[in-house]
Amino acid sequence: MGAAFAKLQDIFVGERYEATRQKAWNMFVTLARRPMAAVGLTIILLFIIMAIFAPWIAGPFPRYFPPANIGSPNLTPSGQFPLGTDTNGRSNFALLVYGSRVSLVIGIIASFIATGVGTLVGVVAGYYGRFQDQALSWVTNFFLVIPWLPFVLIVASVIKELELLPVDQRGFWSTLIAISLVSWPTTARVVRSKVLSVKTLAYVQRARAVGAGDGHIMGRHILPVLGPLIFANTILTVSNAIWTESFLAFFGLSDPNAPSWGTMIEQSWNNLDFIRGAYWAFLPPGICITALVLAFTMVSHVLEEILNPKLRRR
Amino acid sequence: MNYRRYLTRKLVGLFVTVLLVTTLNFFIFQVLPGDPTRILIPRGGGSPTDVINLTTLRNQLIREWGLDRPVYERFGIYLLNLIQGNWGTSITYRPGVDVWTVIVPRLVTTVIFTGTATILSIWLGMRLGRFSGWRHGKKSDTTVSLTSLLLYSMPTFWLAIALIFIFAVYLPILPTGDEVTPVLYGSYDIWGQIADRGLHLILPLTAFVLNNYAIFTLIMRNSLIEELSEDYMTTARAKGLSQFQQLRRHAIPNARLPVATLVALYIGWIFSGAIVIEVVFRLNGLGALTWEAVRNRDFPLLSAIFLVGTLGVVVANVILDIAYSYLDPRVAEA
Repeated sequence: MGAAFAKLQDIFVGERYEATRQKAWNMFVTLARRPMAAVGLTIILLFIIMAIFAPWIAGPFPRYFPPANIGSPNLTPSGQFPLGTDTNGRSNFALLVYGSRVSLVIGIIASFIATGVGTLVGVVAGYYGRFQDQALSWVTNFFLVIPWLPFVLIVASVIKELELLPVDQRGFWSTLIAISLVSWPTTARVVRSKVLSVKTLAYVQRARAVGAGDGHIMGRHILPVLGPLIFANTILTVSNAIWTESFLAFFGLSDPNAPSWGTMIEQSWNNLDFIRGAYWAFLPPGICITALVLAFTMVSHVLEEILNPKLRRR
Repeated sequence: MNYRRYLTRKLVGLFVTVLLVTTLNFFIFQVLPGDPTRILIPRGGGSPTDVINLTTLRNQLIREWGLDRPVYERFGIYLLNLIQGNWGTSITYRPGVDVWTVIVPRLVTTVIFTGTATILSIWLGMRLGRFSGWRHGKKSDTTVSLTSLLLYSMPTFWLAIALIFIFAVYLPILPTGDEVTPVLYGSYDIWGQIADRGLHLILPLTAFVLNNYAIFTLIMRNSLIEELSEDYMTTARAKGLSQFQQLRRHAIPNARLPVATLVALYIGWIFSGAIVIEVVFRLNGLGALTWEAVRNRDFPLLSAIFLVGTLGVVVANVILDIAYSYLDPRVAEA
């Protein structure tokens, strides 16, 4: 605990703050210079703006009393409703704009939880080796091998039945927990293999020789080296989480109070919009999911290339 | 000698995984609140015609799964039931019917569809990966990589819906779904029936392959790029081999190996994609059944599907691993 606190102090107020900030900035510049990452970062920024300024872009969230962004059901696109209305008469455009909030919030929070758990498991497994590693690797591989979709569906639908949570929060938490639960193993694996190589380095050996404890070595000598790797992985996990959320929504397990892009597609599909030819109802949300997922994937792809220079050789 | 140890280790691993799957499957549903029969028995009094007597069903459930016993005894009963082939009773989708009866007819569709789709995806993926890796850094490489990533980022169900909209509604050249043409199918002769089934599989297969081939392309590409930077490739160039020979005889065989290992790892992923495709195209497989089970909150059915799917994936995984060790004996020695 003490070690972790000292580390935080170092990052935010201590003398190493400047160095850390400089390093992070350099990395960002390297990243932004690559066209692929620049495009990704721009798309992400656009969606963040869309999420923050939703009320200014699309007006209030569709509601019946007093009516706002509400028209007759299944309208075709018009000036007032740029993407028509859904089967409940809600403006598809407003739903689309507000949907970015759901995707970003779920994606980022789930990714943080998953990265935290994954890092912890990976560091412990890689550092201690032996029995701990065997046990944790088995669990990690197990979660990697099982088909993720049925697993996510089961976890989300079981958590939805729990009476511990208020009814209106169940959709949110079940989605979040289910996504986190399938997302941590990839991080754990990557972190573990990096720790395996880092712990043999001379400075770690030296720290152990002068009597540093396991917690100290993991917190102050191994974790800082993992920083960029974990960061690249977090970004990849965000894109996976957003993608997974849309599947949960399509199976009707998302939060009914906060319709996401997946929910829009599901409702449009149930409403047979694709047979009626109402492409404005189901194409835009899918394009948004794809764009956001792709943006995060592209950024992490470039980060990975920067971190793993072997790919750049030849 | 060494090989036998490898096999033993794999089989022990399989056993532990199966045990983990069943344990997980048991305890997830233990989290459900209150009297399990309250969730296990359809709300509002079951089927409208009340074919099954609810009190009888409740007592039967309590007896069958030992619901009045402590948790460890229940776990034992659960394992015993599984081994004896008693996997549970559907409660809302088809109330009172043994889940095996519900699942088995669906398995064939899923296995055939997933198998064909996987082979196609791997073939296309490796083809494009080879193309892209060989032209590393050129425009054609960027185009292929970006297109693959784009298709890979699309939610499976949305890609499927969009394809239906384009090829079955906007240009009505293919059927919108189902396995066969309703009504008319019976009047076709055997070749007509096969052609009809094939016609109905075009869109689902396309959707699946477009969505999934990217994994194999990217892995093949990266692994090929890595191989191309090795010393033996410089030697091959120095020997004056043509580009085709360099690629065909030296780089590709080595670059293929990581792809083969990863196929095993991605079976679960592929199975998940197939589920969604089945739902959208109304193919009567395990996927469509999962959808029904989730929609109807049919927990015993959902649990059994999860178990069947996961065990299938885990076993296929081990079989592939063992088959792979024949191709590359280094794996067994490691």
